[in-house]
Amino acid sequence: MSLWRELRYGFRGLRDRGAREQDVADEVEQYFEEAEAEWSARGLSPDEAKKAARREGGSTAAARERASEYGWENSVKVFMDDLRFAARQLRKHPAFTVTAVLTLALGIGANAAIFTVVERVLLAPLPYKNADRLALLKTYRSQLGRAIPRVTGPDAADVRDQSQRLEAVTLYGGGSLGVQLKDHAAYTVVTMADVNFARVFALRPIAGRLYTSADAKHAVMVSERFARDNFGGAQAAVGQMLGVEGDPAEIVGVFPAGFDYPNGTQVWLASPTAPEWNSRTGFNYKAVALLREDASFEGAQTELRTISQRLQAVYAKDNRGKEMMLQPLKEALTGDSRLTLMFLWAAAGLILLIACVNVMHLELVRSMERQRELAIRRALGSSRWRVMQPVFLESMLVALIGGAAGVLLAFPTVRVLVAMAPKELPRTSEIHLNVWVLGFALGLSVVTAVLSAMLPAIRAANVDPAEALKSDSSRGMTRHSAGLLRDGLVVAEVAATFVLAVGAGLLLRTMMTLNARDMGYETRQMLVVDADAPARKDLNAQRAVQQFNELFAQLEQMPGVERVAGVMGLPTGIYGSNGYYETRGGLPVDTDHPAWSNFSVASPGYFRTMGIPLKRGRDFGSEDTHESGMVAVISESLARQSFGDADAVGKQIRCGLDSDKWMTVVGVVGDVRQDSPAEKPGATLYMPMTQHPFYANQIHVVLRTAVKPLTLMSAVDERIARVDPLIARRYTTMDAMVDKSIATERFRAALISSFAGVGLLLAMLGVYGTVAYSVAQRRFEFGVRMAFGAERGTILRSVLGHAARMACVGIVIGVVLSVALARLVESMLVEVRPTDPVSLVLVSAVLMITALGAALGPGWRATQMSPMVALRAE
Amino acid sequence: MTDANTDVIQGTLDMLILKTLSLRPLHGFGIARRVEQISDGVFKMNPGSLLTALQRLERAGWLDSEWRQTENSRRAKFYTLTATGRKQLQVETADWKRRALAVARLLEMEG
Repeated sequence: MSLWRELRYGFRGLRDRGAREQDVADEVEQYFEEAEAEWSARGLSPDEAKKAARREGGSTAAARERASEYGWENSVKVFMDDLRFAARQLRKHPAFTVTAVLTLALGIGANAAIFTVVERVLLAPLPYKNADRLALLKTYRSQLGRAIPRVTGPDAADVRDQSQRLEAVTLYGGGSLGVQLKDHAAYTVVTMADVNFARVFALRPIAGRLYTSADAKHAVMVSERFARDNFGGAQAAVGQMLGVEGDPAEIVGVFPAGFDYPNGTQVWLASPTAPEWNSRTGFNYKAVALLREDASFEGAQTELRTISQRLQAVYAKDNRGKEMMLQPLKEALTGDSRLTLMFLWAAAGLILLIACVNVMHLELVRSMERQRELAIRRALGSSRWRVMQPVFLESMLVALIGGAAGVLLAFPTVRVLVAMAPKELPRTSEIHLNVWVLGFALGLSVVTAVLSAMLPAIRAANVDPAEALKSDSSRGMTRHSAGLLRDGLVVAEVAATFVLAVGAGLLLRTMMTLNARDMGYETRQMLVVDADAPARKDLNAQRAVQQFNELFAQLEQMPGVERVAGVMGLPTGIYGSNGYYETRGGLPVDTDHPAWSNFSVASPGYFRTMGIPLKRGRDFGSEDTHESGMVAVISESLARQSFGDADAVGKQIRCGLDSDKWMTVVGVVGDVRQDSPAEKPGATLYMPMTQHPFYANQIHVVLRTAVKPLTLMSAVDERIARVDPLIARRYTTMDAMVDKSIATERFRAALISSFAGVGLLLAMLGVYGTVAYSVAQRRFEFGVRMAFGAERGTILRSVLGHAARMACVGIVIGVVLSVALARLVESMLVEVRPTDPVSLVLVSAVLMITALGAALGPGWRATQMSPMVALRAE
Repeated sequence: MTDANTDVIQGTLDMLILKTLSLRPLHGFGIARRVEQISDGVFKMNPGSLLTALQRLERAGWLDSEWRQTENSRRAKFYTLTATGRKQLQVETADWKRRALAVARLLEMEG
């Protein structure tokens, strides 16, 4: 009851501050009037009555003050007053305020944006039930010295059947495939998964039912989005038919909205529980296990080791050096992006540090200007805390405004980040600003405020009134330590910026290297069609090859098209294969490291279309048919690694792609970089489409064009649809594909460069601020020197020298730091050493120019100073 | 606000105000004058402390206040004792008497 009254009165007091003060004032006045009236009634004159009333009750002001000080809300009021005072101070110094707020907004905004991504991608639990009990099954191979994220069918099945600690294990595989609907076909991510899949991920269908082991190969589950897009809704989709790789399958159920594991899967095809591929050397599956609720991760790992050892004993030949292990699913999904994100986070942290130093520096300058005010406050007996309080409050206010502006800045930044993010960055669809991020930004603001106010506040508290009042800062008689401190901060800024800029320089040089690299083929003027023809049976496959060959001929007739070919295994493409091969008559082979190559299946004319030079022998031709002798074309690297200097044409080679028949090498072509410009040109084994029809239904059609490739898109699409509307197709250009293959590198380079840019800007502000300030302080000194005949050049040189000295020290520290930190980025670089002298020199030059540029303005102002004005300016 | 008894002066001040107002509503100066008159000048009230105490008592719910006309037709803030205020007065009076008695006994013992 009384607490309620307390609060009500307090809040009313806060709300109607004026009214309450008026009320108290009225009451006090009335009190004294009554007193005077009484004294008058006793016969005193009005004047005497007044005096008597004062004598008795003291002054009205004192009474009023005393009475209006009552109540808890009063301390709030005092705080608000201080805050208002701080706000007024900030308004009175717009240059300081705007600079500090913008600086912090940049720092906090960058961090909030990066943290948003980090939080979602690395920290937030996976959006699956039992997310912490899910683990990816990997295979460690001692021959490779590392674990690969795949398993063989029989090994994983053994783990599934023998493990006591795993509740369920699902085997799956798949990728982007053409899915045939009633009248068209669409590229869709299809996963072939066994019945345990739904159990592992604890999924219930929102319509229909889950498929069972009896449904293998002819039932699918689809995602909620797929059902909505193609059938109008989940219920409507159930019972519908679609074709996956030419085989009809019925939609038996729909998974809940938002579930699209793995890699944005839309269609899950039932696969038999017993793995179809039953070789213990073919790593054809991925597997995810659900740990039992009572099982620990280590326990499961130990058990897996035991099972692996048992398998090693039983299958000595195939399982030699093979051990299966578990990795938490989240770690497995986000592991690759961790390095990039942590790197960016560190860079963002550095930016914040620079921003902090900058603001600290600005506040230091402010507090030095206020030295007199603070000294007087101390002299008048204010406590240390009372003197520090306004400094902290101001800083807090600046940091909070900066934080708010930073969060506003983070919204568009996150959108840009997500748009720019390479497809390897997982979970991007989940990324959005949330409470955690806001909390993080707020926390950062407070930490920033405290950090940046610490030094100025301590200095304010330690002001010796007598000393401070004596040394008038505008006379160039400041204590030496103050200048050193400010210079130190600028040096720290320059050093941190240097580290950022060197990082940016290294990554940019990597990008330049990658962009300028010869891929081994011509990327310009090339339209690429991903085509998936519905063919599986041998006869169908051969027909598909024939159909494609006819299509190539038709497309070649189109205006604007120069050459057309088809290929499985296009560089940077989605289809491809690789593996070991054997030769007859080649160099001896090291059994521990058998010869390895990319495999590619191509139509005649592929090399000319791509611009891959034919070095020896011939291309595939119409004489190479399904019935004629098997032939192959090899790349120069392969020829060198297996045949040395001998002529490879006429030699025999075979691989395990689809048959183990020996093929005769008929030609040698130039090397290409298969997966991205970051890769070395390597060995490739080309085989003709006609002789490997199984691999000829999922191909890239490449068209060398005389015009802009994409302008031909609709005409080409029409032509293909006329041949067979059930060929799923997708269009892109070779340039775009190569570009996409270095998206991660570009993402990193772009971000770190913008960070470095921001850092440079902040460092420039820092140098400008400190030089401008010291010039203003040394006005008197300059005036005297000019009066005694100093040259303008000497003055300018002394100002620039100051900036140059700070920059030099900063650069030297920066070089040391960069060299020490360089190891961390080594794995991200291509053809650039982490201690690349070009980057170091370039960055040093840029920083030096920046520092001198920032000092030029104030320096010039110093030389323009008229001695008389300077001496008078007191 | 109920721990006012520990501080003798403040405790007395509250009790004196409550007691004065138990007879009839009064404004600030009226209370001060009445206490002074009845105590024969032993207690004099400072307006600052008095008005602060009045705010405290009002917030504790023992008083209500209202601006209205005085007999000599000036506007003044009048304080009225509430029902809880009356109860509080009884509590404080009883408490005071007990303490006063105890002090008196101690003093007598010496005499």
